[in-house]
This record gives sequence, structure tokens and C-alpha cells, in this order.
Amino acid sequence: MNEHRPSLSRIRLLIQGMAFSLILINPFLNYYLHINFVQGWYQSLGIGKLWFVSPLEGLESILVSKVIYLPLVIGMLSPVILAFLLGRVFCSWVCPINFLSSILDRLAAVLARTGRKDRWLLSRHVLWFALLLEVILAMVMGAPLFVFLSPPGLVGRELMLLVFFHTVAVEGIIILIVLTLNLITRRFYCRYLCPLGGLLALLGAKRRLQVQQDETACTKCRQCDRACPLGLEPSKGEGASIYCWNCGDCVDACKFNALNFKWQ
Amino acid sequence: MRISRRGFLSAGLAVTSCFLLAPQKAVAASLFRSPVATNMLRPPGAVKEDIFVGKCIRCGRCVEVCPYRSIQPLSLKYGVYAGTPMVFPAEIPCYLCMKCVEVCPTGTLLPIAKEATRMGLAVIDRMRCVTWKGESLCHTCYNVCPYKEQAVRLDEFRPVIDEKACTGCGICVHGCPVSTEEGKKAVNIEPIYSGVRS
Repeated sequence: MNEHRPSLSRIRLLIQGMAFSLILINPFLNYYLHINFVQGWYQSLGIGKLWFVSPLEGLESILVSKVIYLPLVIGMLSPVILAFLLGRVFCSWVCPINFLSSILDRLAAVLARTGRKDRWLLSRHVLWFALLLEVILAMVMGAPLFVFLSPPGLVGRELMLLVFFHTVAVEGIIILIVLTLNLITRRFYCRYLCPLGGLLALLGAKRRLQVQQDETACTKCRQCDRACPLGLEPSKGEGASIYCWNCGDCVDACKFNALNFKWQ
Repeated sequence: MRISRRGFLSAGLAVTSCFLLAPQKAVAASLFRSPVATNMLRPPGAVKEDIFVGKCIRCGRCVEVCPYRSIQPLSLKYGVYAGTPMVFPAEIPCYLCMKCVEVCPTGTLLPIAKEATRMGLAVIDRMRCVTWKGESLCHTCYNVCPYKEQAVRLDEFRPVIDEKACTGCGICVHGCPVSTEEGKKAVNIEPIYSGVRS
């Protein structure tokens, strides 16, 4: 084990936790203390005058209403640039669904000592079909679906509803379904069905930050393949594939320093 | 278990067609029908109702920023309108602080001056209003209106609305002491500017 390298999964869990506590604490600040410097969650987040808009939600809004509103485009810009340079890092480092999944993974690892198996595998192309279907459906119906049914957005909305109106919305069952699907296949929803993940993966197809494999150091022990939450095979160089979300679990798992993040 | 692509796609098609074909016509219509109606209003600066559903991304920032909790997100029973913001003036009216229009990232609520806001138009039900019926001299709507003497005047002690100045904020609805059996007041806000036929 390389002692000098910090554990990426620990840093990631910390960042995920901070991102989650932001949308957890913020409704309380808004409701009880009337501090509304920060509003929203990971559909659109406003920190003072700094606005972020989720690219898929923004895209749907533009496609369905056929109006381009400049603040919306500016809000989408920074997430798009982030995805362009770093890939799907929103999914792996920020998304509250992945945070909850990671927590449950850790709980499961404590409770059951057996390794996790992915029972139901689909073609990875399903991700693109999910994105395409979602965009086409939104345009056909004239009403976007992802904006009120997206699991990452729902986590934020349910937390807000809980604090503001002391209730939860029935759509929240989608969160439970997504988390339950993890029992069949790890990150089943993230792998195959998330339209936002699909869009971010597409944007990050030629990303600068990639997991690169050092063939000379690799012993083909395949520990990285077992660690990958998306079921990719970094031992075969899939760390550079379009589907990798740069979480760094394979980098952590490699005992021979054969996998590393490279900026290129 | 590995599922073939054909199997997956046909299963997906079956599920989708269930959603598209199975619901009864009435249900399907209500899922797409705008919930904007009397005393159910969009926040200030809202775009026309036909593009509202597509433009709003349900980010909830207007709900969070509203200091009076006037804005509520709709539930799933409003179909595709779930999560869109709504003001129920009979519960909590809009006090025209104009914070929501400043935080909307999509331009669904466009920045607008306080006095130019047109959430709807207050309409006095002269058959219900106790002053118009001659039973009392109530003029609560006149007292509470933020545009007193412009949006509402007293004509021989009876309140009269001027549509040129009424913002549709609904403070008069909230103040009105008369409640009818249909859950309305003697003064109600009709969303005549929303593009919805009621």
C-alpha cells in the first residue's frame, strides 16, 4: 500500500457529506432564521448572485419553452464546463442520491461481510436511450418530466417540504426505489437510467481528468474491477471510458499504484 | 441475469405504453390541465400559463426565498404541474416583496416592478359582500389594500376595484370576513392575465 496517497474515498465522502448538509441545513436557515442567501438544491442552486442550473433541467426548459433566457444559460455554464473538464464528477462527488447510496454501501459492508454482486446487467447504451427518451418525451408532452421526478432534485425538494410544510411528497418513493435498486445492481439507476448522468457523461466524453492505467505496474489482480461502483473494469483501461464517473474508488483499491488520475 | 437488448426495449415499450394508453381520458386531461383558477395564482412576474409548465424547472428557489411562505409547490395530484409554485391568497396572500422574481433562474418569473405585477384581478361579489348588500359598513378590503385609493376606492362607502391598478396580490381576499360555501370570499382574485380560461 502506498502510504503517501490520501484515501480518495474518504475525501469524497467528506465532500458528498458537505454537499448533502448544504441542502439539509439550508431549508432550516431559510425557514427559521430567514437567511435566504442560499436558495435551492441541485436542480438550481443560488448562492447570493452566483447561480448554478443543472444542465439537463436547463436544456429541457429551453427546448420545451423555446425561449433562451440569458441568466439560465449563464447558470448552466459552470456545470457544463465542469463536466467538460472533469466528466461526471457531479454524480460521484456531489449528487445526494450517490451520497445516500455510499452511506448504505458502507452500512452494508459493516453488516454483511460478503462482497457485493451485480445481479442484473444491461447494455451500457441504455444510458443514452434514457437520455434520448427523456428529452423526446419532454418535447412531445410539452412538459418536462425530469424536473419534478429527478431523484437528485427530489432529495432536495423532500427536505425542503419537510422543513417548510412538515410533509413529504409522494414522488419521494422514487428515491426509495432508486436506493432499493442498489440491492440488485450497485448504482443501477446511475448506470443505466439517469438522464442527467447520461448528459454529463456525454459532455465529459473527452474530459481532461481521467483514470489512467500504468500497464507496467499492473499485476492484473483486478481489485479495481471489484471496487468500481459502476461495474467498469479499470484493469482493461475502462477508467478512460465515457462511462467512468471519476469517483476514484479504483485508484484507492489499487495496491500497486497502477491507476492514477491524470490531467491531459 | 443478463437481459437481451430486445427484451429490455420491449419491456420498456410495454411500460411506457401502459402509462400513455391506460389512463382514462378524464384523468389524462386533468394531469395536463393548468391548476390556475380563482384564488389559485402564480407568483408575480409569471409567464403565460401555456409555457409555465415547460419553463419552470421546479427548483423551489421562489418557495424558499418567500418570507411570508405565500408560495407553495404543488403536489403530484396536479399532474405535470407538480412542483410548480402557487399562491393561495385565501390562506396567505402575496405581500409583493418581489424576492421570488429576483431568484428565478429560468425566467419563468420575470423581474417586474411591484405596481406592474398582475397576478390576477380582484372581483367583488356584490351578492355576497355585506357592504353591497347593505348589511354593514365593512371595508376591510379597502383598509388592507397596498394600493388603497388606486386599486380599490369607496363609492358611497361600497368598495369598487379599479382594474388599472389592481395587482392581484390577494391581500383583500385574505382580509375579507365573508366566506361562502364554495370556499370563496366576497372578493376573489380571478387570474385573467394568466392565459387560462376559467
